[in-house]
Amino acid sequence: MEIFLAQIVNGFSLGSIYVLLVTGFNLMLLVARIIQFAYPQFVVLSMYASWIVLEKTGNVFLAALAAIITSIILNLLSEPIFRRINNIEKVDINASFVASMGISMVIVEIMSHSINNGFPVSFPEYWVGKNLISFGYISLGRGEFYALTGGVVLVAIFFYLLYHTHYGRVFRAIAESRKTAKKVGLAVFKSSILSYLIAGVLGGIIAILFSMLLGSASPWLGESVALKVLAVSITAGLGNLKGGLYVGLSLGVLESLAVGYLAGSWANVIAFVLMLLVVLTKPQGLFGTAIE
Amino acid sequence: MSTTFNYFIGFSLIYVLMTWSIYLPYRVKDLHFLSVAIMAVTAYFAGVAAVNWGWPFYLVLISGILLGALISFLVSFIIGDVPTFTVVIVGITFIFIIKTIIENTDYLGGTMGFFAIPAANNILVIIAITTIIVGYILFMIDHSQLGRAASVIFEDKNMAYSLGIKPKKIGQLFQTISGAIAGSSGVLYAYFTGSLFPDFFSFHLVGTLMTILFIGGYSTMWGVVFSALFLGGVPILLPSAVSSWKTLIYGILLVSIILIKPDGLITRKFLWKSKNKLKEMRK
Repeated sequence: MEIFLAQIVNGFSLGSIYVLLVTGFNLMLLVARIIQFAYPQFVVLSMYASWIVLEKTGNVFLAALAAIITSIILNLLSEPIFRRINNIEKVDINASFVASMGISMVIVEIMSHSINNGFPVSFPEYWVGKNLISFGYISLGRGEFYALTGGVVLVAIFFYLLYHTHYGRVFRAIAESRKTAKKVGLAVFKSSILSYLIAGVLGGIIAILFSMLLGSASPWLGESVALKVLAVSITAGLGNLKGGLYVGLSLGVLESLAVGYLAGSWANVIAFVLMLLVVLTKPQGLFGTAIE
Repeated sequence: MSTTFNYFIGFSLIYVLMTWSIYLPYRVKDLHFLSVAIMAVTAYFAGVAAVNWGWPFYLVLISGILLGALISFLVSFIIGDVPTFTVVIVGITFIFIIKTIIENTDYLGGTMGFFAIPAANNILVIIAITTIIVGYILFMIDHSQLGRAASVIFEDKNMAYSLGIKPKKIGQLFQTISGAIAGSSGVLYAYFTGSLFPDFFSFHLVGTLMTILFIGGYSTMWGVVFSALFLGGVPILLPSAVSSWKTLIYGILLVSIILIKPDGLITRKFLWKSKNKLKEMRK
């Protein structure tokens, strides 16, 4: 029973990260109208940025800042690429998926050739932290605690932004119908840039929390996470923010339970098989797709 | 011919076959990543059949083609007419499942790999003949009513329905043929290389094949031949210091082609113009 509860707690921590990643992914999908497969790669590269700063300076605050700035820069640098793709008449949203796969390949190669000779990196103990709470088999490390609380706080802030602010209304209007939003005079381009900025900030914070949770990073981490983020988004319903919340958390818990009771590599398979069964029964996703 | 040149030709043709297995379903806008999982299944099937069961090459090849077609048919039958990204998830899931099974099965060599697959006589000639046969089949499909129907489905699925075209049936047919092509490429890959590693049949291979398809041009089968030679084959001829960066180059090329020429380098319009120019020159 204790192992079960411990895995549930771990699962919610991991699930929080997935929820944040899917939220950033869905934000870009709804407002910028792109399938940003490279978003988790941006997060992993931001993790590397914080690792480099920690190695050079040992300053936790600077490392956190480095992660956020790196993520913002990467997201904003990708904006002109996707804007140009969206302006090409004969392409559809699949083109952004293919382009983001290309960006993802570039980032993985840069990480695997240029940083730490391609070997995985470990974050120091003062970054990851020791166990904060432990009773029996159940222990909550600093990473898990921050991932859980950070996830809750950030999602709450994001939903507040979306449903109780002017920019949130603009985002929802653009997600509903881009053409109509333009016709009524909403600043579609500015909102699109803002969505990249928000996704960048969110990505940087995710990088900090993820590095604390895992304690390490590798060039291939982003690929497996990217596939899970895509799968979660499709299972929940493309662009469905609330759906992404439930499915992301569920995936974290399922994966954690699978890791606890089976060999590690089977955890991925079980997660994907379950998601596959869902999309076969409900191709539009469990909660319905939010885009046309 | 030198060994390096043999590898260049062999790998280029195998990449042509592998990419054609993704090209055909994409004619109806299905991103059929299941092909990579099928390649893994038939490659390991070939290895086990050749090494452990002592089957002759041609029996393994025919069995591999039928196995690939069967897997693809069953999956397409079960999933039916689903949105594009559901097909993507199906493919990714199967890649994960197959890779995990291989890695956790000692009989298949696990993560260490499967070795000592005997080379077939004149394997390069067999690969070339298979490529020509598959190319002929695809050419006939592209220039038939089926190919024209696929073009309509690609442009506008609703229009296709209103014209009496059945996207679901055509999609299933193309996925089945794609499975057969993937099956053949898996078997030929196993015999050509003599050894198999589960890491090869991963999302990394999907990225490579997508690059070949989109850079060559996804609207016609000829683009794949051109880009597979350069992207699949040329890295074998380059020094390892350069070829180790090939994935970075693929990524940059993929993004560039989507920005500059999203249809790819060789399009139907390009072929039509070239054909007309040749006719004029003959006159």
